[in-house]
Amino acid sequence: MPKDNVSVFDILGPVMIGPSSSHTAGVARIAFLARRMFGAKPDRAIVRFYGSFSTTWKGHGSDKAAIAGLLGISPEDEALSRGAALLAEADARGEGFPIQLVGEAGLHPSWHPNTVVFELESAGRTLRIRAASVGGGSIRIEEIDGYRVNLSGELDALLVHHHDEIGVIAIVSHILAANRINIAATSSHRKEKGDEAMLVVETDGAIPPSVLEQIQSLPPVYAVVRVPALGI
Amino acid sequence: MKFRFLSFDELAEIVESEPIDAESFALKREAFISGKTEAGIEAELDRRIAVTRKALIRGLGEPQRSRSGLTDGAAVKLAAFPSPLVRDGLFARALRYSLAINEVNACGGKVVSFPTAGSSGIVPGSIWAWWDSRASRASRTPSADPDASGVPAALDPPYDPLLRGAFLNASLAGILIAQGATLAGSEGGCQAECGAAGAMAAAALGYLQGLPLRGRFDAAALSLKNSLGLVCDPVAGLVEVPCVKRNAFVAANALVAVELAMAGIRSAVPFDEVVSAMKSIGDSLPSSLRESAEGGLAMTPTGLACKRRLEES
Repeated sequence: MPKDNVSVFDILGPVMIGPSSSHTAGVARIAFLARRMFGAKPDRAIVRFYGSFSTTWKGHGSDKAAIAGLLGISPEDEALSRGAALLAEADARGEGFPIQLVGEAGLHPSWHPNTVVFELESAGRTLRIRAASVGGGSIRIEEIDGYRVNLSGELDALLVHHHDEIGVIAIVSHILAANRINIAATSSHRKEKGDEAMLVVETDGAIPPSVLEQIQSLPPVYAVVRVPALGI
Repeated sequence: MKFRFLSFDELAEIVESEPIDAESFALKREAFISGKTEAGIEAELDRRIAVTRKALIRGLGEPQRSRSGLTDGAAVKLAAFPSPLVRDGLFARALRYSLAINEVNACGGKVVSFPTAGSSGIVPGSIWAWWDSRASRASRTPSADPDASGVPAALDPPYDPLLRGAFLNASLAGILIAQGATLAGSEGGCQAECGAAGAMAAAALGYLQGLPLRGRFDAAALSLKNSLGLVCDPVAGLVEVPCVKRNAFVAANALVAVELAMAGIRSAVPFDEVVSAMKSIGDSLPSSLRESAEGGLAMTPTGLACKRRLEES
């Protein structure tokens, strides 16, 4: 199946910090998104490098990229190459947290050869993201908290964790439509019928906090997570 | 206007039937895909072009030395050499510019992945070399000295439409290769990274030299043909050897291709078919020669010694 509609900026981009688009830029982008999804500063984070990352993460600066992204530093910021020094400075300001970096031997056969897992944790809250760096700095988030998803970070997205019952997708679409937010793509994932489900909605344009609140207040909804577009 | 194309033939058919310049078409298509205005696209284009100019200035301003020691200021060394063989200013400049930008990448500096990080010097190095050697004579960049071998002058946006056009023509070639084959070394070997960048640089330089669209893509086909089969076998898995120096070699490749195309020499195999050939060659490359650092230069005694030295440090 040939690809089509490749953008000029897929070719001329991303703007990145060297040396590797897949091993440095891709990891920086995944880490940056992980931190934005978690929102606040976590108490600790673990980064697990799989596949080709497991042996080359140090030489390609994947470690520095992961640290910078988790500290909320833009994937385009040259400060990224300072890696561990950034973390020490953040610690001094009280904005740091322990980051454990691990090269993992086993790669699940269905996973992409460039896979990284981020686990962020704070009191009463965890976030686990599995993502792949698929080439040229492009990324794909493949799993969030046990739910299989497919997000590129190019569009704003909304993750609605809800009780699996009739009408949730319709109500969420209705709220977005009423607020004139166009849906670019949706997918729904569930663990078991009638149990918990995850609705993933990608939109053209950002989703304002008031809309998030409306969705959050729906009775079947447990939690709403906003995944802002990388915008770069 | 139709914006979808899967081959160069389809692209040529659209722009020739409208008719519209390829670079204007690329802008309109981008606006259509993204939902942004053309002015917004131009601003983003300029922002990315500006990153390549800054990388160029950094790479020639001071020797770039990487942590591994494999990158060691080749661009500055070349710029200081009086060039007895490669006498043309543009040619010599394209070599050191491409080296300079890719050395900045190897040293963890800021670049644009164009189309990838390991090949990021070839296209902007060639375009900026043309700009500083040729465009300045037409008073487009009064600050640049066309014959100087020193550090290029800073140049900030907004950029001349001709310069944007060069980056857009290169991007169109990259889009065709991405859509028809791949731009990832892990899938297609180095032919998909530096090889593709050479084709993109040829399309850009062909445009700057005034070749019509079909001539530009003849130049792109000629350049890509001469990179078919290039493997990705990086020493110690780092984006340095052979990547950095190959950026200069492939820029030379692109210049030769444009020279041939300008003389009216056609590629015997058209661009679309060269892209298909690149894909089938990539598919038959063993994984040891697709970025895994398990074959070729990576497995030479020197390559292995370098890897051991880095693992111990």
